[in-house]
Amino acid sequence: MVGKAKNLYKILCQDNWNAYITGILIAVFSIMMLAWARPWGAVGAVRNWGEWIIYGVGLWDKFGFGGFYEIEKPVAFLTHSGSVIGIGFVGGAFVSACLGGDFAFNIPPKLEMVKAIFAGFFMGLGAAFAGGCNVGGFYNAIGNLSAHGFAMMIGLVFGAIFGLKYIYWEMEHIEWGQGGGKTIELPGALKIILGIVSLGCLIYGSYCYGGNEDLVRLSGMLLIAAALGYSMQRGRWCMIQGFREPHMTGECTMAKSVALSIAILAAGIAVLKFQELRVIEHYVRGTFGWGGVLGGVLFGFGAMLAGGCGTGTLWRVGEGQIKLWIVAPVFGISSAFFTLLFRMNNWEGMDGWLEDGITDEGILGRFVYMPDTFLGYGGSLALIFAVMAAWWIIVDWNEETNKLVLEM
Amino acid sequence: MDADLTLDTKGLSCPMPLLKTKKAINQIESGQVLEVLGTDPGSKNDLPGWCERYGHEFLGAEDGDGFFKFYIKKG
Repeated sequence: MVGKAKNLYKILCQDNWNAYITGILIAVFSIMMLAWARPWGAVGAVRNWGEWIIYGVGLWDKFGFGGFYEIEKPVAFLTHSGSVIGIGFVGGAFVSACLGGDFAFNIPPKLEMVKAIFAGFFMGLGAAFAGGCNVGGFYNAIGNLSAHGFAMMIGLVFGAIFGLKYIYWEMEHIEWGQGGGKTIELPGALKIILGIVSLGCLIYGSYCYGGNEDLVRLSGMLLIAAALGYSMQRGRWCMIQGFREPHMTGECTMAKSVALSIAILAAGIAVLKFQELRVIEHYVRGTFGWGGVLGGVLFGFGAMLAGGCGTGTLWRVGEGQIKLWIVAPVFGISSAFFTLLFRMNNWEGMDGWLEDGITDEGILGRFVYMPDTFLGYGGSLALIFAVMAAWWIIVDWNEETNKLVLEM
Repeated sequence: MDADLTLDTKGLSCPMPLLKTKKAINQIESGQVLEVLGTDPGSKNDLPGWCERYGHEFLGAEDGDGFFKFYIKKG
């Protein structure tokens, strides 16, 4: 019996999870999050944290945040729902990394630290154009049946290619800042203790939210986000890898698991939205057009420099990778600034959409909730399944033929 | 294990260790051994998978002092 229990612990907490199983779990938890309250995203968290950094250095009013949002300071990070999702996500990834023995302070060479700053900048800018990061702009966008997810998907393909070309160029031409990377390990027993204590903190935090009438919705969000972070770290599930690997090594497991995950997610969310259990406006954004495509290119390029997309960045933060500790705050500050700029100029036309249902008030693209078009719910799901199947077939064919692999 | 070339990727994260390995393998002859030092947990999966796809032999991994050592025999 003890042996069997140890075996189960090993499977749950130490082994690397299969990519397809992880993809299915991510879809299930994402559907649960919408059923509980709202879809989840990653950029909402880092934006709130970025706003706090801007406030902390005294630029909140100077740059017009206070005047535009009509608040003296940013929403508290323990009550901002996006931020709570981010805390749960990083916390879950940290628990996973500690229990699995992956946690260590990983200090990169100088060049990587400089790249991290540019990466965060491009990711914040790209997310503003695309109406979200790889989650709100792509994964949960298509999952929520909004067409802007397809616009970003096209952009991400090219962003990953440009990013890879840049890295190839850098490897040939830049000598500065190499080497000197090191790792500070923690003792194995301490990692396990930290993991268990953090898990306790997440559960305790959820109880605290649950006991407060105004904050009760945050209790489930914290835990479901922790489950997402835990699963992604365990499966090393990284969406930008799905876009990168077909051009780098030809390997396509991650791309196929993302495709599978989106197909399941869309079906689940169609159930919730068709039955009007949740409003359809969730995660429908006005970036189905050049905004979404350009945003995908910029975000994908940034994520290539970072070595992680929005979620890949956050779970690597929980794993102790210092490079991503630099990416995350810069991504947050960049996202806060550009989101403010876009909103001040009404480039997306969000108010028109929410108040009057105007779909083309913005300049970035249109708001298109696919089931509202001639497709209906059935046609929308058929379209999503077809695109995901096409993606699967192309990357699988490429794994055999290497036709899309870029040589160094 | 004796290696013909050692590549240090300590502190680098995904995808740099794999790309540097890809570049370094071109500097040795078929049958020679490349030693890769690294700290990215992802390398434990990435490197064996890459070797299999590109016909190199993944000889195994050892624990160094706070880092991993991977051994690859060029195919």
